Amino acid sequence: MAHYLLVRLLRWASGLVLIVFVTYAMMFYGAGDPVKRMFIDSEEFADADPVIMQILQEKYGLDQPFIVQFRNYVVNLARGDWGNSIRLSVDRPVWEIVKFRLPISMQLGFAATILASLVGIPLGVLAALKHNRWLDRLVVSSVTFVTAIPVFVTAPMLLFFLVLVVDVMDVPYGWNGIFHSDVILPVVVIALGPLPIIVRQARSAVLEVMSQPFVRTARAKGLSERMVIARHMLRPVMTPVVTTLGLQMITLVNGALFVELVFNIPGVGLLTIEGIRTVDYPIIMAVTIIGTLIIFVSNLFVDLIYPLLDPRVRFS
Amino acid sequence: MDSFALQRAESRSLWQDAFRRFRRNGLAVAGLVVIAIFLLMGLIGPWIAPYDFLAQDLFNILKPPTPEHWLGTDELGRDIFSRLLYGARTAALVAFSTTAISLALGILVGTWAGLQGGRVDQFLMWISDQVQAVPGLLLVMLINTALRRPIINWFDRLYEQTRNPFYLNTNWLDFVLVFSALALIAWPGFARLIRGQVLSVSQEDYVLAARALGTTEMQVMLRHVVPNSLGPLVIAVTANMGAAVVLEAGLSFLGLGVQPPNASWGTMLSDSLRLWQSFPHLLIGPAATIGFVQLAFVFLGDGLNDALDPRRVT
Repeated sequence: MAHYLLVRLLRWASGLVLIVFVTYAMMFYGAGDPVKRMFIDSEEFADADPVIMQILQEKYGLDQPFIVQFRNYVVNLARGDWGNSIRLSVDRPVWEIVKFRLPISMQLGFAATILASLVGIPLGVLAALKHNRWLDRLVVSSVTFVTAIPVFVTAPMLLFFLVLVVDVMDVPYGWNGIFHSDVILPVVVIALGPLPIIVRQARSAVLEVMSQPFVRTARAKGLSERMVIARHMLRPVMTPVVTTLGLQMITLVNGALFVELVFNIPGVGLLTIEGIRTVDYPIIMAVTIIGTLIIFVSNLFVDLIYPLLDPRVRFS
Repeated sequence: MDSFALQRAESRSLWQDAFRRFRRNGLAVAGLVVIAIFLLMGLIGPWIAPYDFLAQDLFNILKPPTPEHWLGTDELGRDIFSRLLYGARTAALVAFSTTAISLALGILVGTWAGLQGGRVDQFLMWISDQVQAVPGLLLVMLINTALRRPIINWFDRLYEQTRNPFYLNTNWLDFVLVFSALALIAWPGFARLIRGQVLSVSQEDYVLAARALGTTEMQVMLRHVVPNSLGPLVIAVTANMGAAVVLEAGLSFLGLGVQPPNASWGTMLSDSLRLWQSFPHLLIGPAATIGFVQLAFVFLGDGLNDALDPRRVT
């Protein structure tokens, strides 16, 4: 187990080194120096003193050659120093920004995951129990509909419907804590991302389990239908559903990006967009590392929890 | 005896079978029709559009739908219906080129990895793992930002050398950027699929049988390996085209894709977000179009999935 974890971690770390290197190189050779871009991009800085530009470049080490810059970044990162934001929020340590913004995105993602499973699993089970009846058809077709429509269409359309047509809410804006009612719509929109896959997985898992001999035996020995479902069917259904949940983290990350932009929530998604727009190296590097970390942890979580849920599977 | 007679009477190829199955699926056919219309609009849209997509009618700003402007006008008095038609051109171009580039890359890497095996295979799959280890949208944004300046400079240099006004057209520049960024994240999916197909199909008994009969390697490839790997590839290509349309719209929605004044459904949608409360017609047009086309892609994909799975007996 410890060996397995270590191997996984090492393999991920080797990949991360490549990703960090390539990202840094793309920013350095492609996007260009953020200080220079600040002067080129905005009119008000256009005729600013080149001496100021040079001082700023020196301050952030941007006058160094690529290899030196990259080495400095990695050395500082190893010490726990993520660097300071250059343009977006001037000179503030990136770690401080992330410490403020990551919890917001994580709370949103967590709430969305819970919502998606609380709605998705019962829907899938119900659809399977009513296989080929109208309820099943309804669930399957609405799931197809939700799959097809991208987040950046769903969010404005729901806003349009809920604010203008039925008029049950004001436009949610910004972040007022996870228990504020402004959070409802963003969480619902993010939850719509993984929801279809959860419903599908739960439905097909129940359909598969229903034809198993042990379910027939349970029925034959006179167990009530409710007990058959609770005792014999739910557990085998959990395995594929939990797996999907882990693999759907990426949908959550992508969804959060758009949702945070539409509802102006200061999470990591919005930070990513702002960081990329301003070519703020330290912020771009930080969100890239966080993004790959989220994917790694959720994949690892799936592989670790699988043997616990299904004893037939073993680590390899 | 009976079965022999039957077989001779009705011998159908995989594709004829697939076509029969596909035709029976009403939703999939409807999806195909919608996508065909969408691609056609991408091709001829600008000629049938009632107005030019840049023509500003400053006396008719932000007008809701009227007989003159079927879907109304935007904040510069441009006809929304015409802009949607031009947006279809953007979306169709992106869908086609992105899929073509990433498919070419995928075939190259996939067959190379599958046929070589060993170290080469491990290395190529490691690289494609790393591409998939970064959230896709973030990677697209990174590549897009990284490529913008070099491509602008490259176009400038080409203009200096050739004095061809084509290189001053920034519209093409945006397209080149979006194609490359989207293709660079999509190829690992194709590479994996093709590598898997190369490995599994060449292990099949019918390939062994063909080899045993003395068929040349070339014929084994063309007659057995390629046709039998084509089904999953057709499904993947369709899915990729749909995904490319979404990603282009998403990227433009974030302000990183196709830049104004070029028309893109994503840009139209994000532009409407400032004004949608007073002028909801700005929002409905692009949102409904994206939703409709995506739904068509999903139905078509499901239909192809059912039709092309040879293990399915109907």
